[in-house]
Amino acid sequence: MIPLDQVLVFSGILFALGVYGVLTRRNAIAILMSVELMLTAVNTNFIAFGVFHRPSLAVGLVFAVFVITVAAAEVGLALAIILRIYRQRTTANVDEVDILKW
Amino acid sequence: MNHYEVLAPELVLLGLAFALVTLELLFPQLRKDLVAYLTAASAIGVLVASAFFANRSDSFKDLIQLDNYTTFFRILFLGTAALLAIASAHLVRDKLSNAGEYYGLLLLGVIGATYMAAASELLTAYIALELLNFTLYVLVSFDRKDPRSGEAGLKYILLSAFASALLLFGISFIFGVTGTTSYAGIRHALEAGIGEYRGTLVVGLVLLLTGLGFKVAAVPFHMWTPDAYEGAPLPVTAYISIVAKAAGFALFLRLFSQAFMPVISDWRWMVALLAALTMVFGNLIALQQVNIKRLLAYSSISQVGYMLIAIAALSHDSATALLLHLGGYAITNLAAFIAIIAFYNATGGEEIRDFRGLAERHAGLAMTLTIALFSLAGMPLFAGFMTKFILFQAAAQHGLLWLSAFGVVTSMISLYYYLMVIRQMYVLKPRDGDGRLRVPLLTSAVLVVLALGIFFVGIWPTPLFRAAASATRLLF
Repeated sequence: MIPLDQVLVFSGILFALGVYGVLTRRNAIAILMSVELMLTAVNTNFIAFGVFHRPSLAVGLVFAVFVITVAAAEVGLALAIILRIYRQRTTANVDEVDILKW
Repeated sequence: MNHYEVLAPELVLLGLAFALVTLELLFPQLRKDLVAYLTAASAIGVLVASAFFANRSDSFKDLIQLDNYTTFFRILFLGTAALLAIASAHLVRDKLSNAGEYYGLLLLGVIGATYMAAASELLTAYIALELLNFTLYVLVSFDRKDPRSGEAGLKYILLSAFASALLLFGISFIFGVTGTTSYAGIRHALEAGIGEYRGTLVVGLVLLLTGLGFKVAAVPFHMWTPDAYEGAPLPVTAYISIVAKAAGFALFLRLFSQAFMPVISDWRWMVALLAALTMVFGNLIALQQVNIKRLLAYSSISQVGYMLIAIAALSHDSATALLLHLGGYAITNLAAFIAIIAFYNATGGEEIRDFRGLAERHAGLAMTLTIALFSLAGMPLFAGFMTKFILFQAAAQHGLLWLSAFGVVTSMISLYYYLMVIRQMYVLKPRDGDGRLRVPLLTSAVLVVLALGIFFVGIWPTPLFRAAASATRLLF
């Protein structure tokens, strides 16, 4: 079995990559993908902790399933909004969407 | 027993929300303001029904807690939603399409907000939070004709999704350290001691606080607030500033008092720091705003600072003071926003200079807005003074005198920008060609009631205080 701390290092790297992506990417879709990366790190954490703590109680796994579901709904909503912006201004770059002071 | 009756008010609300959407779908010719009044009637109906739950304690499988705390927030959210539905009637009819969906989402958001207050387990709390947030994303970007609306929705959803991820990462560490997600279970685990995992817990708490800070709009995590407030249709702005904010604090307060009390020394300074930053920057940036929605956005950010004081000084007194302040804040903000909505419907202006000479154009509207702004600034006799006074006093008694001093000083600063609006309305003359304004009778009636409510809380807060005290008793 893989030791817990190695899994945590993995999810930490994944999460940091996601945060980096959110902060540096300017395309709305790329930002959304980076958020998904962060959520993957969250799920890895939940599954790892859940399995290592009490495998009989599926709390961690259930949490991960719910996070995946909610994230899917979130992406659906975000893509709908991005699509509308793209139709209005033919850009999905958050720096060019600047009627409101950012 | 499954105790399904604990969930009854929200199940009924869910049914009503779908009924409203279907109604508009089946009868597209139906008068759109009628849908608004139906929404208000259903919200008030559920409000009256949930008042019968007062003084009952029960729980749904230890996930959803029913107690006076839940009932307090249920009534607060439903009342706000009902008044905002009435206030939306003309604006939605004239400016927005798909009225049924708008009002349906308004009610769905209330369900999420209520369960944020009622949740006693982290997964439930997270789902409730997302339910409220999802309805807000759609509502913020509801105005298809206004490009600002879509832009506000985009910024809101991207930053909020980022904040959710931070929040979840924090929760995962807390789950890792304590092995459970129920508030009571976390408390037991923390009381038993966590030894060498203290560092992991602190990392989890920092992430959790960052995520929650985003959701309630505390500085430095407030960037989405002014844009979302300005871009959203006005009633939605009011909805975010009252329901979403109060729901965020309801979750915050229950989580930290029921789960994290044993490690208060680890997080108290973080919350105190957030509170100080939020008060200072919220008030200072508000000074240079020219748009009334942005002004109220920064004003609401500074109110978050005052509310965070109560969390930093967590105890029964300060929790009661927080609920009292939230109640007064809801009444005050409703009065301010409904007055602005009435003004916007009549003139279409939302810059502060558009309010020039409002006192001559409609004395009642100017008077209500002035009362609301004075209350937000915390002038004596108004609700804002009394609730802030009790809040600062509770904080001072629990060793955070310096934070209370910050609160008093920044409240003084806030008076300046509220007075700028009042100056436009009373001192300056209307521009040529600006005639008298018409305000619908129902809106005027609502405004009178709210203005009286501000004075009622400001002069005789005892009934609201008692309700808040009985709501927070079971938290500790």
